[in-house]
Amino acid sequence: MEKTDVAVSTEKLVKIYKGKTRALDGIDLTAEAGIAFAILGPNGAGKTTLIRILTTQLKPTSGDAHVFGLNVTREGSRIRRLISYVPQEMSVWTDISGYENLLIYAKIFGISSKERKSIIHEALENMELDEVDDNLVSTYSGGMVRRLEIACAMLIKPKIMFLDEPTIGLDPSAKKVVWERLTSFKRQCGVTIFFSTHYMDEADLYSDRIAIINRGRIVKQGTAEELKRSLGGEVILFNLQNAGLTGESLRKLRNTDTVKDVILNDSELSILVEDAETNLPCIINILRSEGIKTEKISITKPTLDDVFLKYAGIRLETSGRISEVASIRRMIRKG
Amino acid sequence: MFVMIELELRRLRHDRTELYFRAVQPILWIVVFGPVMSSVKGIPTGGIPYTDFITPGVLIQSTTFLSIFYGLMMVWERDSGILKKLLVTPASRYATVIGRSMASGIRAIFQGLIVVPFALLIGVRFVPNAAYFISAFVIIFFASGGFAAISILVASFMKTRERFMGIGQAIIMPLFFASNALYPVQMMPQALQYFSAVNPMSYVVDATRGLMITGDLTNLLIDVAAVAVFDTVMFILASISFKRIIE
Repeated sequence: MEKTDVAVSTEKLVKIYKGKTRALDGIDLTAEAGIAFAILGPNGAGKTTLIRILTTQLKPTSGDAHVFGLNVTREGSRIRRLISYVPQEMSVWTDISGYENLLIYAKIFGISSKERKSIIHEALENMELDEVDDNLVSTYSGGMVRRLEIACAMLIKPKIMFLDEPTIGLDPSAKKVVWERLTSFKRQCGVTIFFSTHYMDEADLYSDRIAIINRGRIVKQGTAEELKRSLGGEVILFNLQNAGLTGESLRKLRNTDTVKDVILNDSELSILVEDAETNLPCIINILRSEGIKTEKISITKPTLDDVFLKYAGIRLETSGRISEVASIRRMIRKG
Repeated sequence: MFVMIELELRRLRHDRTELYFRAVQPILWIVVFGPVMSSVKGIPTGGIPYTDFITPGVLIQSTTFLSIFYGLMMVWERDSGILKKLLVTPASRYATVIGRSMASGIRAIFQGLIVVPFALLIGVRFVPNAAYFISAFVIIFFASGGFAAISILVASFMKTRERFMGIGQAIIMPLFFASNALYPVQMMPQALQYFSAVNPMSYVVDATRGLMITGDLTNLLIDVAAVAVFDTVMFILASISFKRIIE
């Protein structure tokens, strides 16, 4: 593959904050141009740090990172001409109108006065904001603000867009609109989208490739399908009544021929098998003989959550943090 | 660079409440403090009424306040994602910092224009020369830019609002009291006089007082030079430290 076909590449990227917090611990990844690339991971995994290094805001402690073949530490100003970036926090002025926000950014980006108007209107239309363009941003809903931010990022027709948690705090329907617009923009302009998220479904539905990140390391990369297929078969999930599962019993389960993997997370026992229906009786027998009582049994196809559980050893915790960020965003809006 | 000024104008068009409320304080100085203190007649103002004497000082004090707290907006923009996004654009740091600083100068001009009519009402006699008056505002504009640059510099170290508020007060009050805004420098203790000699506010007040009230322009060149040096130094320092603000 030619070098120019690679949008983002990092080699052994490490970032240590203030000499102690290891935010990134040797990240190696490659994202081809023209795809939507998702960084999936829980909070504090290093997603934002990674994006901030790639957008030249932070310098890596060691290792290398390139955006379209340009080095992030040495060729920052050339990179900044190719990229656009939407931070996780709110990044528009709320005391002026949506149109004015775009106008200011168009001028900052140096878009010529002839094209300015048409480009702004195109971006507003793309994001379905053309009817509210003269309203103050402080009257916008969360989803509208997000769309305005993305419209901002579209102004320069970047080669790559970095989106840090693009739909955090949005309700499902607002989320869907944002992604529909992003996907059609990507199709139109061939822009690469590099985004971070902790929503499984978002990574699953809207990305061409996913890198799972946990504690500053990439634990697994591939398409959503590949990742799920790497687990294979089906997942039988047992909710255990007592936490009396010993290492001995786990080993016994693992040593059963048809069992591909066993993951224990608190009182949830996930067992990966090729075919759940034929294997279930045998597994139940083993559990019974070990004296383990189960409350509930369910059978599912592997989800990204299971993939995450297997490679990162924990489930993605989502609930608490979303409401926290949503409230921070609200607070910032109020000023 | 100019786009930041445009941004400020657009903001002001939508909401000017802050300016009106900020104008209350200088108006009180001129309308209350001035007349009361002038009855003391103990301050050698060089033959002009005391209220007239302090009007430029109070005007500069209020525009400096405004500029120093401009950094608070930077801290706010840091908490939101605006600064991060600005730093990822191709615009240079110098253009961003100077643009933002001068944007504060725009606010300062409007602030000044609100206060002046009240001064006229109370009977302050300005030099009846439009060119002098405009020059005074040009100086206020550039001086405010410099003070806003200080505040951006401070903001890049103090990244929270609370800390910023504290340090902001700690910067303004000495600048104000150790300047010739309320009394001539000659009245101060020797140590303060030295401080006043390096206090940019003294030069700004001196220039505007000359242009607006006394019509005495003998020091104007020195004053303008002082403001120019002050601006340049502050712009450079603020630009260098600016990137630190988002780290």
